[in-house]
Amino acid sequence: MTQKKALVIGGGIAGMQASLDLADQGIKVYLVERNPSIGGNMAKLDKTFPTLDCAACIITPKLVDTGGHKNIELLTYSEVQNITGEAGAFKVKVLKKARFVDIDKCTGCAACTQVCVLKNKILDEHNEGMGKRGAAYIPFPQAVPLKATIDPEHCLFLTKGKCTMKCVEACGPGAIDHEQKPEEVTLAVGSIIVATGFKLEDPAKKPEYGYGVYDNVITSLQIERLLSPSGPTGGEVKRPSDGEHPKKVAFLQCVCSRDLNTNIYCSRYCCMQAIKEAILLKEHNPDVEVTIFYIDIRAFGKGYEELYNRAKDEFGVNFVKGRIAEIHEKDDKSLVTIGEDIVGGGVVESKVDLVVLSVGVAPVPLPEGIGIEIPVWRDNFYRAKNQYVDAVTTDIPGVFVAGCAESPKDIPDSVTQGSAAAMRASILLEEK
Amino acid sequence: MTEEELRVGVYVCHCGTNIAGVVDVDAVVEYAASLPNVVHATKNMYMCSLPAQSGIKEDIKKHSLNRVVVASCTPKMHEPTFRAAVQAGGLNPFLYEQANIREHCAWVHADQPERATEKAKDLVRMAVAKARLLSPLNPKKIAVIRSALVVGGGPAGLRSAADLASRGFEVSLIEKSHFLGGNAVRSASLPFTDQTPREAAAVLTDALEDEKNISVHTGYEAESLNGYLGNFTISLVKKPRFVKECSNCGRCIAVCPVETDNEFDYGLSMRKAIYMPYDSAYPNYPAIDMSVCKKCGECVNACAESAIDLEAEDEKLDLSVGAVVIATGAKNYTPKDGEFGWGKSDRVLSLPVLERVLDKTGPTKGRLKGKVENVVFIGCVGSRQKKTSEEEKVNEYCSRICCTESVKNAIHIKDRHPDAGVFYLFRDIRTYGRDEYLYREALEKGVVFIQFEGDVPPEVNVLKKGAKVVVSDVLSRESFEIPASHVVLATGFEPGADADKVLEVFKLNRSADGFFQEAHIKLRPLETSTEGVFIAGACQAPKNLVESIASGSAAAAKAAVPLSMGEVELDPAKAMVTEFCDGCAICIDPCLGKAITLVEYEKDGELKKTVEVNEALCKGCGVCMATCPKKGIDVRHFTLDQLQAMVDAALET
Repeated sequence: MTQKKALVIGGGIAGMQASLDLADQGIKVYLVERNPSIGGNMAKLDKTFPTLDCAACIITPKLVDTGGHKNIELLTYSEVQNITGEAGAFKVKVLKKARFVDIDKCTGCAACTQVCVLKNKILDEHNEGMGKRGAAYIPFPQAVPLKATIDPEHCLFLTKGKCTMKCVEACGPGAIDHEQKPEEVTLAVGSIIVATGFKLEDPAKKPEYGYGVYDNVITSLQIERLLSPSGPTGGEVKRPSDGEHPKKVAFLQCVCSRDLNTNIYCSRYCCMQAIKEAILLKEHNPDVEVTIFYIDIRAFGKGYEELYNRAKDEFGVNFVKGRIAEIHEKDDKSLVTIGEDIVGGGVVESKVDLVVLSVGVAPVPLPEGIGIEIPVWRDNFYRAKNQYVDAVTTDIPGVFVAGCAESPKDIPDSVTQGSAAAMRASILLEEK
Repeated sequence: MTEEELRVGVYVCHCGTNIAGVVDVDAVVEYAASLPNVVHATKNMYMCSLPAQSGIKEDIKKHSLNRVVVASCTPKMHEPTFRAAVQAGGLNPFLYEQANIREHCAWVHADQPERATEKAKDLVRMAVAKARLLSPLNPKKIAVIRSALVVGGGPAGLRSAADLASRGFEVSLIEKSHFLGGNAVRSASLPFTDQTPREAAAVLTDALEDEKNISVHTGYEAESLNGYLGNFTISLVKKPRFVKECSNCGRCIAVCPVETDNEFDYGLSMRKAIYMPYDSAYPNYPAIDMSVCKKCGECVNACAESAIDLEAEDEKLDLSVGAVVIATGAKNYTPKDGEFGWGKSDRVLSLPVLERVLDKTGPTKGRLKGKVENVVFIGCVGSRQKKTSEEEKVNEYCSRICCTESVKNAIHIKDRHPDAGVFYLFRDIRTYGRDEYLYREALEKGVVFIQFEGDVPPEVNVLKKGAKVVVSDVLSRESFEIPASHVVLATGFEPGADADKVLEVFKLNRSADGFFQEAHIKLRPLETSTEGVFIAGACQAPKNLVESIASGSAAAAKAAVPLSMGEVELDPAKAMVTEFCDGCAICIDPCLGKAITLVEYEKDGELKKTVEVNEALCKGCGVCMATCPKKGIDVRHFTLDQLQAMVDAALET
């Protein structure tokens, strides 16, 4: 007997869309997300190309719909441990990590986060390390579920057994529970959609760019947080070394993409992301000089070439074809980029205040030994069994793949594949 | 309405700094609290957050609220969210009104914070004025016909149809030509696999064969669509095939005396008037091309199955379905006469023609004509064009798949002719994602990539055999002359030939690029402005096969939602006829949804007239209300009285 229930692993935009399309068909969905909130990488973006509408504005309705849907059960801050069984009858063990907060009691008032003695001391993942949080934290204001989490790696009580415990005092409903234990649950589902998304490749793999060494070399996701009105700087782009507004900014494309030493594949969205970020910088301050160093501009999606043209013609963004070979830091922490200008000719050296690395993406695989092993392409992203007839069904019956878990993607393609995976999964679930 | 005391709650959203960075939220809250009937006014960092929604729910009980106003973003975004919150608090969801102080105040008046704040107060005052007059409404539910129409028999349509059928719904698949498969089956190969596009399409057509609840209608086009989500009726017209399903023995084709260009092979091969475009085409029996048939009757005599009827006529078919998926595809860009030598020599090919040429089962058995010495691909033909004058119509967009297709074919040619030079003249190499491996392979195999600037395109001078191609190389800043044995134009895509008709019939819109417009370019790429009509594949934008297949399944998922639920809710904001209507019928013609009809009735022995509204067809646009000279028709939730109250409030100071 087929279980009319589905498991979706990963609560980014692809996983949310897959969950919603299943749930809207009346199918029960368990959505497992390892972070405290759903939303994935899209929740970190300031605006989205090609129409430049704000990411938070368009993603919050999805977050709210997913969080409030009667057929979707969210298991956030949870990880899939083990999968057994077969299509129609999988048994999935999920570890609900201890949040040290009773989510039934927590109202999301954030009082605990305000009084935590480590407030503003721990690098904040949602802000890509550009801001700081406490050990008690809520990742972002529109988080779903809007519940506090206590970070066991930093909380003084949990690590050292010693703390003034102001969080407990501040919590009106008494939701904080430092004794909370992780909990294992077993889910019975008929099909599984893997939407584990992507992470940025480690830019330290390109030591010539000085990421992690030079203060003012940041990633394309970090500048999203600086551009965002809900980010750590309230939407003011300030360079990390001194908080000054950069007057000259360089974007370096294909960092850890299209590169024999790291990843050969193209990460697909980074050209458009850089173009968008460059436009946003210009919108913040038209006097900022922005240069994008690229190999090829890959503006291939709907409305993308048009936005690329606007960046050049309307916003005055400079495009220089060529890879930057190295970056040096000056005493004042500004940076000198040295590289080739293929079109203009010769080696160009320029002094800039901020360098943004358009870092390529890497897959986030399921943990090894989990019980299923989905075949991958040579780029290590999950592969569909025969993508030319069915873009989402894997070699493992009952297991489907969507979003960046399958290959790097932009938002529309992730959303589409999320819906596609829901369709294929629903067919299996509705079979008699 | 009973004289209950009006108790309005007003909630003002900060939206982080989106609103609060410009508008003085505290001042708006304070102002709202001073408005008549407002018994509770407060603010929140994000009203859409779940705790803020719970706050509304609790306040409704605590303060006995019976009307709620949220001043935040556009109702397009969160009206459903707050209606649900109001409903969770025990009120009718239509006792809710939203004031958009983000888009209308904070964003557009960011440089004038004080005036933006004043405007926010005005909008809140207007919203409260309307809220006072709101009435509870109850959406009607209507049954959904549990079947779907899929328009277009290319890969996206095939995938959609197969998915919806396997999901258990009745599916009708229509295709205007007599054979399924679309453009994809004309390609010679696919990247990263030995599988041919035709083999892939056969997997999909086999899936259709396996499904009991699918009917395939080739030769059909949709003429009109009536109705609404859940209850569409579609009128179809069939161009006759002149051949009934048969064993495809081939005798008719053998005896047919008429030869004509086979358009499937772009005229590289000939076919008969009765023909199969290729052997394994689906459905697997011939069709007759009446534009060339001489009606000699040879085929009729040769047919042992009496399958041929040369006098067959157009047929009509009406279908009733709950949802529609449009997958009518795109067409290849045809270069203008002389554009890069096009039309001047059989050595100047376009990308789709090259696919037929390289097909080992195709018209040339996979061989390029003549000696293969230097094959020169030219990128971005018909794509990424720049206007030279205001009136000029150009394709500004990138056609997405031509780079990968060119590189794939460059590798094939290099593999078959290792000594030949293969060149790709490009503007940017857009082998995105995994296709980068193909680019890498082409480089390793010695394909030469030469970049040119968009405003200095290569020149093609056609010679007797081949052409002389001159390109200005960006890298060396030198001009090269390549003696080409073959030139391949990497032509892009344009909206399908019958796009205008499809748009008109299904009431869709075009994007600026001419392709079909989706409801939201990022988050609703499959939905359209017509509820219940979805788009898949290249009709929305150029797509490769994998992407078309994915969007086919995805559009099926969208259609599966109403079909599986079996009923849909109608928005209750529809026109309603009042006692003042005297049947003057002025409203009937302007009605955009053709929802109004004139009716007669008898009252006190007198014949009277009035109008009736079909609520499923009514879009609640209010044109009737604006036309009516006597308050005889009113749109619920936007009644004249409600709008009047808002205008009065706007003019108050």
